[in-house]
Amino acid sequence: MLLSLTLVLYSIKIENMREALLDNGQVDRKQSNPKLLILGCAVMERELRQFQNGRVEFKFLDQGLHRTPQNMTKILQTEIDQPCEEEYNAIVLGYGLCSNGIVSVHSQKHTLVVPRIHDCITLFLGSPEYYRQESAKQPGTYYLTPGWIEKGQTPISKYESYVRSYDEETATWVLHEELKHYTRIALIDTGVYPLEPYRKIARQNAEFLGINYEELPGSPLLFKELVCGPWGKNFLIVEKGQSVQQEMFLDL
Amino acid sequence: MIHLGGKTVSLKPNQLAPREQTVEMMLERLSQAVVLRDCKTVSRLTEKMVREGLDLYEILNHGLIPGMLEASERFRRGEFFIPELLMSSRALKIGIGVLRPLIQESKKDVLGRVVIGTVKFDLHDIGKNLVIILLEGNGFEIIDLGVDVPPEKFIKAVEKNGAQILAMSSLLTSTMSWMKFTIELLHASGMHRRVKTMVGGAPVTPIFAKNIGADAYCREATSAPSEAKKLLGIEEDGRAVFAK
Repeated sequence: MLLSLTLVLYSIKIENMREALLDNGQVDRKQSNPKLLILGCAVMERELRQFQNGRVEFKFLDQGLHRTPQNMTKILQTEIDQPCEEEYNAIVLGYGLCSNGIVSVHSQKHTLVVPRIHDCITLFLGSPEYYRQESAKQPGTYYLTPGWIEKGQTPISKYESYVRSYDEETATWVLHEELKHYTRIALIDTGVYPLEPYRKIARQNAEFLGINYEELPGSPLLFKELVCGPWGKNFLIVEKGQSVQQEMFLDL
Repeated sequence: MIHLGGKTVSLKPNQLAPREQTVEMMLERLSQAVVLRDCKTVSRLTEKMVREGLDLYEILNHGLIPGMLEASERFRRGEFFIPELLMSSRALKIGIGVLRPLIQESKKDVLGRVVIGTVKFDLHDIGKNLVIILLEGNGFEIIDLGVDVPPEKFIKAVEKNGAQILAMSSLLTSTMSWMKFTIELLHASGMHRRVKTMVGGAPVTPIFAKNIGADAYCREATSAPSEAKKLLGIEEDGRAVFAK
């Protein structure tokens, strides 16, 4: 009883804090200044920008950071520590745990808001439950979005880069070793791109690997929540001086 | 290079005894051949060192494995990518392929039996396969369950094969919790008293490994053989195997 009361009070406190950060101009003295800085991965630029408003400022970083998590941490930290003229109520990260690339990131000056997700696919699909369900259905899913196709790598573009660096035989062997367990390519329709050109590329990739092709409906909900708030259970509020830890993302 | 009173001093080749000099240079060349993914040189040098009577574990632990470790570190730093990592693994496998029959011949029995797999919902096996190469090279017997292995399958395999070690790999933060569930099932089965657990994979941290009750954590694949030996109370050169 006492425990549940404490939990209720705690969640009210969190809710109040979230609302206060968004609605109360505690730091934002000049009304024209943006109140949030959104620091995100370029792979989701269009999906986030659709919710652009006068209260936010965007900055996007290279899509490939997650491939070297150690470097990602350093790059993100440098961006967060950048001296800025504006006073933000919070810095919102358009990043999940991203192979631990976000672990230890902190800010002395700002509250950080971080989606409590393993990687960006949850954002594109709109909920962790949906992502879990799809991954359980087919663990060997290679997810693509138009942003990934434009800014990231596809199996075909990987193969081509391997051929450029080595030879066809080596490239074929490496790609096979890397992707041999994949069973489908799933293109997520995030609703902000005309799908046809990306559909064509995604299908070509599925044919290239000899695996199934499917399209999954995306959702703008988490992107909207990220930019506009209020941040619910899928977001972490990391106070000034606190750092992001792996445990915060795990359901153990 | 040697360390003298805090200073690192380069020894000129003629300051080492001739045999040491040659051995050291050959091991270094072997390491570099693994880093440079040069299968032919790895094969030729390993065979040469075996012919010259070098200790098999010396070739493995001071030649082949340091090369793979360097390749892994370069991968971690973003200097190497998956093709380079895979090709270094292939070179390592070739070198170990030369040593393995000889290591097996020199022992009456295997060092221990290891059940290994990538956890449920995870299909990444580059690291796990590298661990298998290294453990087999060191004289362990491996039961490879492949990828996407549910806890029940791990436990059944441990029981059926009488394994001493259960090793799990994961490359995704979203799947590493399955290591915890598997360890819990091992405890529920009562086998945790005689079976040690070992975990690794890019997102796995020492804190995570400790929190889930794993007996050993491998920061990289190359540390798997020494961790496995420690778990079973075996010395690095594998000699004190049945000293219990």
